[in-house]
Amino acid sequence: MISAWLKKNLFRSTGDSILTVVAGGLLGYAAFRMLRFVFVTGRWTVIKVNLNLLITGAWPQEELWRLTTVILALAAMAGLFMGLAAKQTALEAADDDDVEPMTAGERARSLVGRLWPAAGTVLLLLLLTETAGPWLLVAGVIVVSAVGWFVGKQLPLKAKGALTGGGVVLFAVLIWFLTLGVSWNSWGGMVLNLFLAAISIVLCFPFGVVLALGRRSEYPIVRGICTAYVELFRGVPLLGLLLMANVALGFFIPRGLVPGNVVKAIVVFTLFSAAYVAEIVRGGLQSVPRGQLEAGRAMGMSPITVTRKIILPQALRNVIPSLVGQFISLFKDTTLAGAALGMTDLLTGGQVLTAQKEFRGQGLIAETLIFVLLLFWAGSFTMSQESQRLESRLGIGER
Amino acid sequence: MSETQTEVFADATQVGGSGDVMIELDGVHKYFGAFHALKDINLNVGRQEVVVIIGPSGSGKSTTIRCINRLEKHDKGRIVVDGVALSEDVRNIQEIRRETGMVFQGFNLFPHLTVLENITIAPRLVRGKPKAVAEEKAMELLERVQIPEQANKYPGQLSGGQQQRVAIARSLAMEPKVMLFDEPTSALDPEMINEVLEVMMDLARESMTMIVVTHEMGFARQVADRVVFMADGEIVEVGTPEHFFTNPQEERTQKFLSQIL
Repeated sequence: MISAWLKKNLFRSTGDSILTVVAGGLLGYAAFRMLRFVFVTGRWTVIKVNLNLLITGAWPQEELWRLTTVILALAAMAGLFMGLAAKQTALEAADDDDVEPMTAGERARSLVGRLWPAAGTVLLLLLLTETAGPWLLVAGVIVVSAVGWFVGKQLPLKAKGALTGGGVVLFAVLIWFLTLGVSWNSWGGMVLNLFLAAISIVLCFPFGVVLALGRRSEYPIVRGICTAYVELFRGVPLLGLLLMANVALGFFIPRGLVPGNVVKAIVVFTLFSAAYVAEIVRGGLQSVPRGQLEAGRAMGMSPITVTRKIILPQALRNVIPSLVGQFISLFKDTTLAGAALGMTDLLTGGQVLTAQKEFRGQGLIAETLIFVLLLFWAGSFTMSQESQRLESRLGIGER
Repeated sequence: MSETQTEVFADATQVGGSGDVMIELDGVHKYFGAFHALKDINLNVGRQEVVVIIGPSGSGKSTTIRCINRLEKHDKGRIVVDGVALSEDVRNIQEIRRETGMVFQGFNLFPHLTVLENITIAPRLVRGKPKAVAEEKAMELLERVQIPEQANKYPGQLSGGQQQRVAIARSLAMEPKVMLFDEPTSALDPEMINEVLEVMMDLARESMTMIVVTHEMGFARQVADRVVFMADGEIVEVGTPEHFFTNPQEERTQKFLSQIL
């Protein structure tokens, strides 16, 4: 059977066979070099020793407990939401005879399928650490989110609104709690990249949607402003904007009012990405047939209701792939904040390592870059996976 | 001459209705750019009357009924629905739309919502009905259009005929005083046309006021109180179905009928 498959797919003709042998040889050699580097010749001590720097940057060690607290609180919140969502899905599935409820095995498999890159990376990080702290943190996250999940499952479905409101408030409180101990200038490492990306995504999305709607407004002034905004911010390089926020901001506003680096970066990323999100969403809005608007209007719905309940849900569903692409791009672009604002984000941190006294001049840049890029890949790939899941879940009506 | 005939039959609004006027179009004009789409349309529809509008494509049939619920804005003239004159005021427009159901050629169901949600969304958001009440009413309506078993499916999972029946149920859920049908069977496969027409006939039997733009002459003959023939943006001839199908007066009417019958 295997030989038949090989014959059919790889050795059908002489030409095929030559291609297979040559390509296979090259691939095999590349894989060999790669594996040898990772397991034999790579000198990973530099990562091991500097793991703290890569993950949290210049974050003061004595204030790490704040970060730990925040992570645990977020895990609890996420658990609550997922528990509630699971309850809702289960109820809907019970309503609809066509949908078989997932068995425990299927659920486990789907979780592994979704989370293996992220989970694998976390495991790798844990294996590289030499202290018990991170292990305890991960264990804590698992326990806390599991507890949250079970509590969430007990909540009534109506609690969703209150929970969302509570989540937003909690988030604001957590950020304030962090600022008590850590200045906006001393953030760094992977935590910085994740934080910048998460906050900017959350902020630029609604802003972009408003811009997209504004560009289709019947009022010329609104339309003009939104169009001008989009064209302005799409027309300049992101790095330029970041440099400007860093250097030129001081010329325009009093020194004392210039915000910390993290805030500057978030503002720039949000303003910049919103312009792209706006164009993506506008494409989505155009993809919804005019009849949808007419059907809503004909039943006496207000323009706002039609937009919120009829047009936007369909428009956004149509552009999930492009939106997530934009968000992944934003996640990777957070490395520019390191370069432009002089912060030790994950990538900058990685480059700094090779200049340390005990590692200088040893050509360790390959090791650090591979490690850094692996972390970015794991984050991006997880986002991509989740978006595909979201698409297929929302795609139900499209059948 | 068509002028005088329109006058005569406009006086005969009472034909199938209960007596009072439900919809009044008075000297309505509509332009699409330089194109004069509606030319001085005068038409009254009585309460509980069924008026069928026929005519070649591009004659302004759809535009006429789309002006009644302001999906198109008329440029001149007066439109009154159940005593409320259509004006620029958004609230006034929404009030008229609440009372006027519309069924479209392309169904225009909301693909991201289930059948039940499609039917309950407007009563809940526009009329502020509680979910349970709206759903009960929706199930009643689905029984009436004979597809209660599809309540939790999505529009994309239904056949064209089923979708159009859901669309009718969706309009009825708002408890409108008038139903406007814009070529409701034109996008359907032939074998599905009847299931939709039957629902419409039921509605007519239950004394709903209806304006139907259609090419289904059988339906017009059986159900209409009056038939209106439009061509080139004008009302050419108005009359009872017998008058129309046995003894049409206008040359354009005769020509149109000879082409499609």
